[in-house]
Amino acid sequence: MDRAQIVHQNFLDRVKSGQLPPGRDPAGPLEAAEGVATYRAQVLSRALDLTSRAMQKAGEGFYTIGSSGHEGMAAVARALRPTDMAFLHYRDAAFQIARADQVPGQQITWDMLLSFACSAEDPTSGGRHKVLGSKALMIPPQTSTIASHLPKAVGAAYSIGAARRHRPEHQLLPDDAIVMCSFGDASANHSTAQGAINTAGWTSVQSTPLPLLFVCEDNGIGISVKTPKGWIEASMAGRPGIKYFKADGLDIYDAYRVAQEAAEYVRTRRKPAFLHLRTVRLYGHAGADVPTTYLSKAEVEADEANDPLLHSVRLLGQAGALTPDAALKIYNDTRARVERVRGEAVTRPHLKTADDVAASLIPPKRACAASNGPSAEARAAVFGSDLRAMEEPQPMSRLINWALTDLMLEHGEIVMMGEDVGRKGGVYGVSQKLQQRFGPDRVIDTLLDEQSILGLAIGMGHNGFVPIPEIQFLAYLHNAEDQLRGEAATLPFFSNGQFANPMVVRIAGLGYQKGFGGHFHNDNSLAVLRDIPGLVIACPSDGAEAAMMLRECVRLAREEQRVVVFVEPIALYPMRDLHAAKDGGWMRNYPAPDQRIALGEVGVHGDGSDLAIVTYGNGRYLSTQAQADLAEQGVKARIIDLRWLAPLPTEALLAATEGCKHVLIVDECRITGSQSEALMALFAEQGKVPAARIAASDCFIATGPAYGATLPSKDSIAEAALTLVKGAS
Amino acid sequence: MTRTAVLICPGRGTYNKAELGYLHRHHADKGALLAEFDAQRAAAGQEEVTSLDGATRFSVSKYSRGDVASPLIYASALADARSLAEDIEVVAVTGNSMGWYIALAAAGALSAADGFTVVNTMGTLMQEQLIGGQLVYPFAGADWRNDPQRKAELLALVAEISGRAGHDLALSIDLGGMLVLAGNEAGLAAFEAAVPVVAERFPMRLANHAAFHTPLQEPVAAEGRRRLAAEMFRQPDVPLIDGRGQIWWPDASDTARLWDYTLGHQVVAPYDFTRAVQTAAREFAPDLFIITGPGTTLGGAVGQSLVQLGWQGLIDKDAFQARQTANPLLAAMGDPAQRALVTA
Repeated sequence: MDRAQIVHQNFLDRVKSGQLPPGRDPAGPLEAAEGVATYRAQVLSRALDLTSRAMQKAGEGFYTIGSSGHEGMAAVARALRPTDMAFLHYRDAAFQIARADQVPGQQITWDMLLSFACSAEDPTSGGRHKVLGSKALMIPPQTSTIASHLPKAVGAAYSIGAARRHRPEHQLLPDDAIVMCSFGDASANHSTAQGAINTAGWTSVQSTPLPLLFVCEDNGIGISVKTPKGWIEASMAGRPGIKYFKADGLDIYDAYRVAQEAAEYVRTRRKPAFLHLRTVRLYGHAGADVPTTYLSKAEVEADEANDPLLHSVRLLGQAGALTPDAALKIYNDTRARVERVRGEAVTRPHLKTADDVAASLIPPKRACAASNGPSAEARAAVFGSDLRAMEEPQPMSRLINWALTDLMLEHGEIVMMGEDVGRKGGVYGVSQKLQQRFGPDRVIDTLLDEQSILGLAIGMGHNGFVPIPEIQFLAYLHNAEDQLRGEAATLPFFSNGQFANPMVVRIAGLGYQKGFGGHFHNDNSLAVLRDIPGLVIACPSDGAEAAMMLRECVRLAREEQRVVVFVEPIALYPMRDLHAAKDGGWMRNYPAPDQRIALGEVGVHGDGSDLAIVTYGNGRYLSTQAQADLAEQGVKARIIDLRWLAPLPTEALLAATEGCKHVLIVDECRITGSQSEALMALFAEQGKVPAARIAASDCFIATGPAYGATLPSKDSIAEAALTLVKGAS
Repeated sequence: MTRTAVLICPGRGTYNKAELGYLHRHHADKGALLAEFDAQRAAAGQEEVTSLDGATRFSVSKYSRGDVASPLIYASALADARSLAEDIEVVAVTGNSMGWYIALAAAGALSAADGFTVVNTMGTLMQEQLIGGQLVYPFAGADWRNDPQRKAELLALVAEISGRAGHDLALSIDLGGMLVLAGNEAGLAAFEAAVPVVAERFPMRLANHAAFHTPLQEPVAAEGRRRLAAEMFRQPDVPLIDGRGQIWWPDASDTARLWDYTLGHQVVAPYDFTRAVQTAAREFAPDLFIITGPGTTLGGAVGQSLVQLGWQGLIDKDAFQARQTANPLLAAMGDPAQRALVTA
């Protein structure tokens, strides 16, 4: 027999016969009506679990990972305020249901059933995914399967204090809010979770406000692997900066009392706490999982005997709040009600087309207050002697620094964060003086953990900030990439555009640093970013364009709520000369602050029609050198700088190559998975112009004299160009 | 087999000439209940409810008064609520505007006598103070299809008028495909002057109605809170859906907050009847929506609220009427034929 049916029957039989599990007497501040309301949320959660399984069997529903055994989270919800942002574990239906009771006008049964049915009318994700979440209930949706939502919870908690000092126009969280994130005992072991917990402690011991409540729902098992006995307490009770609380999630009185104490601690002390909540997991991990294949029957039955609903019936009876008969009536009435509502919810429409599904990949635009920009006096005060330097051409690193200065001056909601971005001013000096100019709370020196850097940005983005996190080197992105792929990029998708986490991630990267660093400081693959739906990737090739593109990136984040990655070619940061020493050919004047380069606008340099060299970043610099050599050999070339690597500006690119006899793609990234693959495909499908490519070898970059051996060079570009042009003539 | 039903209690304006004698016609068996109401009226020096109902002559000026209409409607509706066939299981109760007070009693959150006290007190206070007035105006088309853009335009107009000096105007009730607006004479007149006449009768003023559910009623709310004790409020016996769509569950409600809502927010902020009906549908999915008497005028608003959801394929008025003919989803007890469907 299905364990879900066994648990259901057990409940009916045991309540009728009075065989309720033993436990402590009810104690604490939970009043009678609140206790019954909590029980009602638990029962509705249970009824939805049962109905979801029936829906799946009937082909009407598509999700069966349940919350059974974790219904004590209803008591945790009641201990918090509905304006406390909650990043929920996927077993927290009872939390969301209980919270819905705190906000007038919710239709939580209907909403949950629509999400099981993946109806296009599901108010959380619009039928894209079964996720817990609600704008009205301040629950941003995410999958939470591997606790990858913890770093952003740290960021959101940090944002509350930051917003007191610098009010974002689109602030969401009240000043006295706290942030809650929940997760299972198994995912607590995940390095992402450990990193976030570590960051919270690291922040807390420095007395930086971080009102964050971690809630670990300890059911003792992760799918089939048991958590060692006492592991969560042993590993979490002594964390520096984080106060540990322990409660019995089978006992709504205890869970409510302790959760309230923990929430009070977090709210008043503005420090993180860890609430360790004992739960059980009933009927396996998901619908298809049979727990008796890896647990003894006795173990399964022991958990079933501790059904939290049975404990609630006992406790409410002992407290005089509800008789067992009345509790049974609530259970049966709720089951019947959910079945009735199910009958209606399954008739609602589903998404059909690819366009339907993709409609929320890109979040909606938001209205931002207009600004004339900072006054001349304000700029003079901030820039100081740099204003005079602006009259002369400068290398890229300085122009980016000035662009950041202007942007931060104009928009108080911009916050930077990263390793060494503050006091040091960045390892390449790009963020020099910014901390002095705007303070350590807007230019944040973080600990050495990229997941935490991106999590801080994502969380602050949730609360109206426009974060500009920095990843020090492209190779350091990879350990944290899921924060973009699995979290930041998916938020509008999962929330049907109701939540967004706009940001501009600055990443120093790509090759050609002479004799420095080898692979880990010269990574040359952007493949990990290119395929993330909705993501914008920008890559400038000179300082003036970098400034103008960065302004557009900030506009995209601030006004259109986009997630943007701005890849800065390290080798071009200090580049001064182009053709000969001291020619100053790659320095640029700082463009006026109102000048931008729009998303999708490509750069065209030269008007030759023998050849179009399509490139970006360092490739444009090298191709410009090659362009001169080619001219000497009678080949008239134009250079098309993509600038925007995702989404590829195909229309502008094709227009710019119009009339050219050949196309040479110059790609400094590795040939496999690089943008040149997409470009070759584009020109092949277009079928108008013969295209060839030169790209980096599928090899890591060497340290020392061979630093450029695997990369395109001025000479190899010229050679490939001549081969293409002459070979075809 | 039982039929599940959501019970909906009507508000002001439902006891008209045709309803005169309603209690005598339908509720001669409920003498004890009515005697209780009559006693309260007599003690307050007011004409008894059965006497009002039994009069031979109906006059609008008298029967539209708050201190007359409210107790009559309350008595009629509550008596109807107690007349349902045995196979009907009421799974939730809601009401429109003053119907909220009746819903409280029908759901058991107030005793019949206390409910009468609340209704009579609030009706009398509103009549004494008679602050402002109400009008009704449709935003949905004649086919009942929702027109959110038209609604938004009208609400923008309301906001614009209320910003003018000396003008008070606000949304009072979201009533299916119609808006009930409330304000002072200047505000109401400005709206009437600004919109086209629809169906030859809208915008329609509601005689003897005050600016219910707007901040203009603050004095009434304050006096109501002074006169009516929180102790009267108790746990409902069945779920109760308020004018925000919030559900008050049996044994799980904070009765102090129920009192606070009833004599606070409910009196001075817009009443979203549409949301209440839609919550009833989506959270309880009943077999039937039963509107108690007196009157039948609330049926349109309930139908329009369901059409806005596309509930059970009801996409417009024609679909709704076809459904009513084939297999009624809605029964208005003020209509003799529909009443027969749900009474013993």
